[in-house]
Amino acid sequence: MKLSYIIREGLVGIRRSSMPFMNSVFSVTIALVLVGVGVLAVDNGLQYIGDLQPDYDLEIFLTNASSVDEQQELASIISEDPGIIRMDYLSKQDAADLYSAEFGEDILSLLDDNPLPSSFRITFEEVYRNKIYIQSFVHSMEQLSPVDEVMFKQDLFDRVQGILQSVYLISATAIFLIILSTVFLTANNLRLMILSRYEFIETIRLLGASDFMVKAPFFLEGGILGFIGGLFAVFIIAGFEFGLERMHIIELPVRIMQYPELIAGVLLFGISLSSLGVLKAVRRMLRFVA
Amino acid sequence: MIKFENVHIRYDSGITLRDLNFEINSKEFVYLFGPSGSGKTSVLNMIYMDLFPNEGQVIVLGKESSYVKRRDIAKIRQQIGMMFQEPRLLSDRDIYSNIAIPLELFGYKSNEVRQKVNRTVDELGIRSRLSHFPIELSAGELQKVALARAMVNTPGILLVDEPTAHLDPVASDEVMKALWQIHGKGTTVLIATHEERLIKDEPARTISMHGGEIIQDRPL
Repeated sequence: MKLSYIIREGLVGIRRSSMPFMNSVFSVTIALVLVGVGVLAVDNGLQYIGDLQPDYDLEIFLTNASSVDEQQELASIISEDPGIIRMDYLSKQDAADLYSAEFGEDILSLLDDNPLPSSFRITFEEVYRNKIYIQSFVHSMEQLSPVDEVMFKQDLFDRVQGILQSVYLISATAIFLIILSTVFLTANNLRLMILSRYEFIETIRLLGASDFMVKAPFFLEGGILGFIGGLFAVFIIAGFEFGLERMHIIELPVRIMQYPELIAGVLLFGISLSSLGVLKAVRRMLRFVA
Repeated sequence: MIKFENVHIRYDSGITLRDLNFEINSKEFVYLFGPSGSGKTSVLNMIYMDLFPNEGQVIVLGKESSYVKRRDIAKIRQQIGMMFQEPRLLSDRDIYSNIAIPLELFGYKSNEVRQKVNRTVDELGIRSRLSHFPIELSAGELQKVALARAMVNTPGILLVDEPTAHLDPVASDEVMKALWQIHGKGTTVLIATHEERLIKDEPARTISMHGGEIIQDRPL
């Protein structure tokens, strides 16, 4: 059997049973819209929750008596820690500026001397951002001489981490359930599409077509179906996002058109879902055809 | 080429084929003769590996049907032309496409397909019907199209189930002439029929069946 036959028969099959094909494209599109919206909703949700987190995880306040050399030595000790992704130094003047920005008063006009200490603000890398690691880091910092106090808001940290864990779990379960339901929804429609081609499958099988000869054009047809369904889904999601923004309902930090990996994922998922679904339906039908 | 050894088949409906024994050699022309329900179509279906015996052996082109693998069935069918009792044409394809299916499946080039289809339809006198759809043809023409599809690939074996059942005498003669012509090219032909007239007009070896049994195997 030639490749040209597979391609031609795949395309001819679409033309000959255009209604069941479009019906399947519709169901694949709906399925992929559900998956795409689910992933985007989770991504946007995580982004919003991420914004609620403080800009840094803890702050190390230095004694007023600490010298510049001591502060530099401390900075190099901190920067060697593998779990730290970011470290910002706030001088006494920076602290005074922040105070006046926050409370609207210049602290130097209230007091003769600036009592605010200089500090390091520390942000941990995601994988190291856990209570045990941070507590051990706090403990080691408290032993060092230029350190006056380490401020780690453990209650807030625990609460945000707890929310994030729950969101991850709920999101993963929701996406899994969406994918599962889309597979069932699509599989049924694809089965109906293949059922409408029973006459063709039975006839060519009786005329000597091997299982591969029967399956190959349908596999291609399934791939085309999934690709078209995927494209429709991407445009529908993009239109939906555009509508939300135009109506000022919500501003989405993550959008599908800025996310080529998600577009590729939707298309790939559509192609695999349809071609494998079609293949499964044909294989099932071949069991009843001698 | 085709061998039946002590073949038995029992259906749930109660119809039974009993102790079938015969052998058909290469390039033979054989009638399988008997009334409706005598088991002729079942014999053809067993040769075509669309039906398998409960007991005994059916050997076709060296393959024993009880042990044959699914992919081998396709290979065997590629060497056998089968004209079913019902034409089994694809209603959404024109006559040309229907006849061309086996050739396209087996990888013939498009110009070879065209040549073979044209030659076959000329032999059967249905060239004018090539662009029509099955629904536009009479029962007799559909039979001829089904026969054209079975013989277009010049198979080693041609199984024909009631080829003249829906045909008038003239069309019937044309079909039989075509069958003898393809036999003349070296194809083994096995025709299941209930029409005694065919055997009288063109005598050949005749295996007679009745009630699921072979009652006579009369050589030419």
